[in-house]
Amino acid sequence: MKGGIHLKPALLMVGLYLFLKFGMPLFTAPLPASLIMLYLMLTFSGIMIFMTLSGTSMESFLGPIFRFISGDGQESTMKTARLAVLALFPLLVGWQTYTSTASSTVPPAENRTVHPAPPGEFAVMSNPVPNTPENVMTGKGLYAAYCSPCHGQFDGKGPASKGFNPPPANFKDPTTIAMLQESYLFWRIKKGGVGLSVEGMPWKSAMPRWEFELKDEQIWKIILGEYDGAGQKPRTWE
Amino acid sequence: MKKNRLEVKCVGIVLGVAFAVGLMLAGSAWAQESVAVRAMLVKTVPDDPTAAGWSGAIPATFPLSPQVHWPARILEVTAQNVTARGLSDGKQVAIMLEYDDPTEDPDDAVAVEFMVGDKRAHFAHGQPMAQMEGGPVNIWFWKNKDAKAIDMNARGFGTLKVQDQQDLKGKGVYQNGKWKVVFSRAVATGDANDTQFKPGEFINIAFAVWDGKKDPASGDLKEKGSQKAVSSWWYFRVEPQPDYSSYFYALLAIGLAAGFEFVVIRKLRKGPSA
Repeated sequence: MKGGIHLKPALLMVGLYLFLKFGMPLFTAPLPASLIMLYLMLTFSGIMIFMTLSGTSMESFLGPIFRFISGDGQESTMKTARLAVLALFPLLVGWQTYTSTASSTVPPAENRTVHPAPPGEFAVMSNPVPNTPENVMTGKGLYAAYCSPCHGQFDGKGPASKGFNPPPANFKDPTTIAMLQESYLFWRIKKGGVGLSVEGMPWKSAMPRWEFELKDEQIWKIILGEYDGAGQKPRTWE
Repeated sequence: MKKNRLEVKCVGIVLGVAFAVGLMLAGSAWAQESVAVRAMLVKTVPDDPTAAGWSGAIPATFPLSPQVHWPARILEVTAQNVTARGLSDGKQVAIMLEYDDPTEDPDDAVAVEFMVGDKRAHFAHGQPMAQMEGGPVNIWFWKNKDAKAIDMNARGFGTLKVQDQQDLKGKGVYQNGKWKVVFSRAVATGDANDTQFKPGEFINIAFAVWDGKKDPASGDLKEKGSQKAVSSWWYFRVEPQPDYSSYFYALLAIGLAAGFEFVVIRKLRKGPSA
């Protein structure tokens, strides 16, 4: 249909922008503006290539745009629309220049790796405590005493959690303990926030270094209780 | 008929562009949240919490948690939030903390913490970290009964040390169930143990609050030492002198874009395919 020659690409661009900006964050982390811009530019290039494949398609696509911009023989409504576009373009360029050169009042972005690699000695460990109902129950008791003030009912929303940034981990979230091995949790509990590597921003984590207050066996039991309470299973290699 | 359809299409495109621009602008506005204290520039920096000058400061509120990282820990605290404001004249800087406390007690206290030097420090007193060497922290401490601020350093719990060179002033006022405490200091002190502020540069800041209420039976303080309300690291900066160059660049860009349009239109009107 001829009427869609500009409408369809315009709808495609707007639709893609809305999807990348607001749709994607529903499934993954928000995309950075530069990546959104890259996708839009690629789509725009694709549209341009497609529309200029032949002389006829180029004329039918670009012709009306050129005539609109040059303003040849336009009627009053079109004249107003043309003037609006011609005025809007320099203002947009000016706004873009201002925002990219004005000194920012926002602190620099920090890229924290949420699950940095553990030191080698922790990667090869397996839970020496058998997964029995008694051990799970003991683990849950220890969890209630030591972990729940911050990590709450396995949801990261304990009464002592609200001042911490990053917030305490939510174990019910499928992207936390469900995708980690027990040895990883053992490392994080034993060494705490200060045990993180540089990319994990150890200077921000409030997680205590429990090796000073808990025995290894107690930590392994807490891990059993934690998985059970959160309704998750540890990741395995098979 | 044909022309009308073209008009509708063009108006549609214009509306589409306007909508997309609106979304972008709205998106950048939503991204703003309270993560930083900015010391706004003023002629004179007040060192009194009740001074009228504070109305020109932008309040930033941060949540507090009990200090759980290190024993002796505590699991409940009185202060749930602290609101911080900053003012500077380029030479002096003042930070005011404001928080709710139902009772005024001699042992009520507050502290502000910064990193010192080029190494990152753990927010809990610069606790040692396993896989990287951390730096010390500079702590500004004020207690009601002392009625003064103390300049200190620490590199882990139990290492708190009062500095030889004291550069701080502090004053607190308790009114209507609220504490307002002002710390003030020179932007640059020349003391290597002090955090030095560079206007325009964001640095990390953290807060601590102690409710010094005494248990009438045991005489124990509700919060003391490592038993306190703390915040994570947030940001602080002394605002730079205003810089108008971006307005100039924006005007230049508008001029260039308008010139570009002019050339394109001329070319289209003259050109063979127009």
